[in-house]
Amino acid sequence: MEQFVQQLVNGIMAGSTYAVVALGFGLVFSVMRVVNLAHPEIFMIGAYVAFVVITGLHAADEGLGVLAAVAVFLGVLLVAMLATGVAGLVLERLVIRPTRGTYILTPFIATAGVSIALQNSAQRLFGPDPVRVPSVIPPYTFTLGGVRVTSMQLATFLTAVAIMLALRYYVHSTRWGRATRAVAEKPDVAAACGVNVNLVSQLTVGIASIMAGAAGVALGLLYTSAAPFMGLLYGLKSFICMLVAGNRHIEAIMAVGLLLGVVEAMVTGYISSNLRDAVAFALLLAVLFFRPQGLFGSYEV
Amino acid sequence: MSALLQVNGLEVAYGPVRAVRGVDLEVHQGEIRAILGANGAGKSSIIRAIMGLVKPRGGTVAFGGRALDKLLPHKVNEWGIAWVPEGRQVFSTLTVEENLLMGAFGRRNGQATDTRQEHIMDMFPTLRERRTQLAGSLSGGEQQMLAIGRALMSNPRLLLMDEPSLGLAPKVVRSLFDLVEEIRARGISILMAEQNARQALRVADYAYLLEVGEIRGGGSAREMEASETIRRVYLGG
Repeated sequence: MEQFVQQLVNGIMAGSTYAVVALGFGLVFSVMRVVNLAHPEIFMIGAYVAFVVITGLHAADEGLGVLAAVAVFLGVLLVAMLATGVAGLVLERLVIRPTRGTYILTPFIATAGVSIALQNSAQRLFGPDPVRVPSVIPPYTFTLGGVRVTSMQLATFLTAVAIMLALRYYVHSTRWGRATRAVAEKPDVAAACGVNVNLVSQLTVGIASIMAGAAGVALGLLYTSAAPFMGLLYGLKSFICMLVAGNRHIEAIMAVGLLLGVVEAMVTGYISSNLRDAVAFALLLAVLFFRPQGLFGSYEV
Repeated sequence: MSALLQVNGLEVAYGPVRAVRGVDLEVHQGEIRAILGANGAGKSSIIRAIMGLVKPRGGTVAFGGRALDKLLPHKVNEWGIAWVPEGRQVFSTLTVEENLLMGAFGRRNGQATDTRQEHIMDMFPTLRERRTQLAGSLSGGEQQMLAIGRALMSNPRLLLMDEPSLGLAPKVVRSLFDLVEEIRARGISILMAEQNARQALRVADYAYLLEVGEIRGGGSAREMEASETIRRVYLGG
């Protein structure tokens, strides 16, 4: 039983980052009807930014006090989010906007190209092997009722939750969030209401990219590594999470992401870590087979 | 007096299909003008072209003397034109209140927006009742009220209405056109595309007859009502 709860907690911690990346995919898709295949690579950029900043500042060479550690963590997050935010804006303007329109596959292919370019650039710059991202968070382990949670897991989880709450607030309670929902539903009508749809598109990709960047930092620190192709597997799983959740409610995507994390943790804990990915994909694909519109979705896609 | 809205030689085409062929029309301040025609005549295309949702292949559109034809829809809205789309097109995943707020998106003034919203809900008490409901759960007639209310939120000088009576019950249609007169009484000019010629001619000052993308006739409402063609084809003798 203890093992079960432990894996449950591990799963929720890890799943929260799947949720964040999946939300980024979902956001761009629902607002712009575009699958941004470069999204996972933006996630990868986040991890590498963490690597560069932390090793550059030699921030993890000696142990840091808790306050300093948190400050560095937040600082790294901010820099990464800035970098990925800008990357997203550039991507939208140069790649997505010109290729949007009648043929659905065009932005798909274009962003796939960007994705490959980014992977290769990372390979060139940092080498094909994973680099070690020193963790700035001092390694405490909290124990609560027999369940162990590391400080890094907690940092990752809290970051993801903060991002998801911020997104939810933005979408539901702000003027531009409302406009974003309107554009997602009926872009022509939204435009006629005075919404600059191009601006909303930029904003959306920017936000999704910031989210991916933050998730990249969190994951890079959690597993203390960054690799050029880390986006591939992660991105694929997150994307399928989005499909399984059925692009309608933010909460659904969050839930599926967490669920995936839990499933993987259970498989790793009870069966074997080798089967983790296989089982994860099998389950996701099974859901899509029986319910193509996703668990909580409806109609198209 | 120069017209508020002036359309000259409008050409709208979708690929090889010419939906609007050399259309001239105008709307003067304070008028209600109707574009009558059957399904597929090109009425919606004219409305969409004015709103900037489709780029005309030729011709000009001027509003208050300024050229409109190269603008994006949000700019057209900013200049004072609002759109009530065909089939209502309310944002069904947003609440009634959020729909109204979207109508005022182009006008950033918070205080004025609140006042306007209260005003519109006075006009449509049903909307006030349902303000926190999702717009998708409203009936057809209620959605039409919401779509009109939403358009009015931006304080437009010109209202473009695309087939407002489509799909509505006859009793609702009557009150809809009464509402249209009420809106004009508040100083808003209206250009409406309508298949329901009888009702449209009841409230319009002037009407155009559109057939296969071309204006085949136009005149005051009385003239149109009296015309043989109209009576036979659109009013059922």
